[in-house]
Amino acid sequence: MNWLKKHSTQVAAYSGLAVCIIFFTILTPIFGESIWSAEKIKTLMQNVIVLALMSVGAVFVYSLGSMDISIGRQVGLYATLVVIIGNATGSLLWGILLSLVISVIISAINGAAGEVLGIHPVISSLVFQMVISGVSSVIYNSIGSRNVALMNTFDVSLFRQTWFMILALVVEVLVVGYLFNFTKLGKNAKAIGANPTAARQSGIHLVQYKVYAYIIMGLCVVLASLFQMGYTASASDSTGTGFEMNVMVALILGGMPLSGGMRSRVSCAIVGSFTYALLSVGLPMLGVAANQVFVIKAVLFLIVVLLTCRKKTGVLPR
Amino acid sequence: MKKIFALMLALALCLSMVGGAFAEESRGTIMWLSNLSSGIQYETTRDYLTAICEKMGYKFTIVYGDMFNDAAGNLTAVSNGMTSDVVGLIASQDGGLQSIMEQYPELYVAGYNTDMTSVFTAGGANEAVLQKPKFLGTICDGFQDGADMGHQYFEVVKAKGWTKVSVVNFPGYAYPNQTAAVNAFMADVEAYNATAEAPITVVSEPLTLEFQPLADSYFLENGHDDLDAIVAFCAGIDFVYPTMVTAKLNGFCDMRTQIITGGFNNNADIIADIGEDKNIAWICISPSEDPAYPMVLLDNAISGTQFADFAVERIDSKPYVIDSVADIDAAMNLGMLGSGDVTKAQVSVDDVLNLCVRFNAEATYTGLKDLFASEQVTVDALLK
Repeated sequence: MNWLKKHSTQVAAYSGLAVCIIFFTILTPIFGESIWSAEKIKTLMQNVIVLALMSVGAVFVYSLGSMDISIGRQVGLYATLVVIIGNATGSLLWGILLSLVISVIISAINGAAGEVLGIHPVISSLVFQMVISGVSSVIYNSIGSRNVALMNTFDVSLFRQTWFMILALVVEVLVVGYLFNFTKLGKNAKAIGANPTAARQSGIHLVQYKVYAYIIMGLCVVLASLFQMGYTASASDSTGTGFEMNVMVALILGGMPLSGGMRSRVSCAIVGSFTYALLSVGLPMLGVAANQVFVIKAVLFLIVVLLTCRKKTGVLPR
Repeated sequence: MKKIFALMLALALCLSMVGGAFAEESRGTIMWLSNLSSGIQYETTRDYLTAICEKMGYKFTIVYGDMFNDAAGNLTAVSNGMTSDVVGLIASQDGGLQSIMEQYPELYVAGYNTDMTSVFTAGGANEAVLQKPKFLGTICDGFQDGADMGHQYFEVVKAKGWTKVSVVNFPGYAYPNQTAAVNAFMADVEAYNATAEAPITVVSEPLTLEFQPLADSYFLENGHDDLDAIVAFCAGIDFVYPTMVTAKLNGFCDMRTQIITGGFNNNADIIADIGEDKNIAWICISPSEDPAYPMVLLDNAISGTQFADFAVERIDSKPYVIDSVADIDAAMNLGMLGSGDVTKAQVSVDDVLNLCVRFNAEATYTGLKDLFASEQVTVDALLK
């Protein structure tokens, strides 16, 4: 009983996913075809992959009690760079390398800005969101088109293969899970999220570990952008728009405490991402109109927030 | 407990049987990848397509394209809504069309309300779609060549006798047609001014709106306070008109300044402000019967009875021009767009069936195109 009380948030999150799986497993065949058909599993993974790759990385930043709202635009920028530089050089490598460099720079600034400048880290990520939007606008204005596609000489169909998506996600979860649970990077990040003052007085270098956390997330964002680009072998000025909100929703659905701290878990990202994707894919199969899917997801999100993120003394999230 | 369980199983069995029965009756599902999710144009299209599909024996479903026409967003929308009985797609957005057709190679695709620049332009992101045998073409939202829109707007300015106008448009990277329209308009003005007794002045450079409403300060800028008209190639009803009305109330804009633009909104205040001497002097939209065009092509293709003279192409939509109180009254009361009444369609559901080879062996592609280029789908036809 004590265990249940202590892990109520995780139980609720896992239960939500379990209910979705059971619900759609039973009902979708009645309405036509199973959600576990090869076609729908592929669709499910296509819905999951970018969100999950970003969310897993974002666990590091959310465990600090922080968040980064520039990651959506970062996905768009990296996807664009990979396509444009790929077309110009004949190799995707240079675009990926440039994206990694930019990602590390942005992450380092975002991670350090909060401590160094004494501002909430969201502010610096907001600045980057605007800057990247501007850069993206300039790029597409100069191209004269709203989207860019990879030349036919590139074969990026690998990114659309279900097995490859699963493999990438498993590898990322293993690596990030190891870093988060078994190294100082994760333990210190959780300690900072739980109580930054205590963490500082325990000798943890806050700026250093925050920067590490942001860099890990940034690298995951670059990986996610490759899958985003590979999905359609193209990018557009709106690629990645709103992804940061999807990540937040997925993490909260997965039971991630917004205040970060010791109860942060990598599994929150996986549970939340799959729950979110199951709703996106499963509800239309039950004949729910596309516009009603948004409403249902919003209502479920609200219920989960009220159930799992509630303060003991009020209704606001922790 | 056992009884409840048994009851649930029986219910599930019944549902699957009912579902199966419906599936046998239907010829499949037509999916609309919509660029709209609300408003009278969306509702009219939805109801019209629903009625046509019902009559033809199809089911109908809607998915909502990415609001920025992003390729991945559109593909995800289609994938999430896809079921095994979807046989045709009406695409109102072209982003990701190539990926959609590669992922669902059995799907017939026809466009509506989109010029599909990325398909029909050499080097376009979806150029490969043109080679796909299941792609059936599109009916544009207006002219496929933006220059024609520029010429059209110039003729309105000239006919109205305006001599001082300004120009507003959306960015070229998003709407290359509008850039072409602006260029053609400016060229027409220049050519006209060479011999005109009362030359037309285009105040300042054309303003490009980054999908934000026209700023209030626009009317404080030099020359903008006493314009004859604003030529809004962008969706002026939503992006320019509200600012203009506010500016008039605040005394920053001449009361006689009017706007000519595209787009439609059935808000009562806006409807009442359309007419010869009203704030909105002229609007041009596409006929609300245009969705029938892709439906006919899809039905022919799905039935294996395509027109003998069929060619994959994009066609202009007939300008549905409203420039008087009589016009807007007719559009609101006699036409399908304003009333939302499918029975008032100027191409009725029965007419649509008659355009399909499955229902009319004499039907031709030329006849289909001629109909959608004819006066039958204009406001003037309602007035007659």
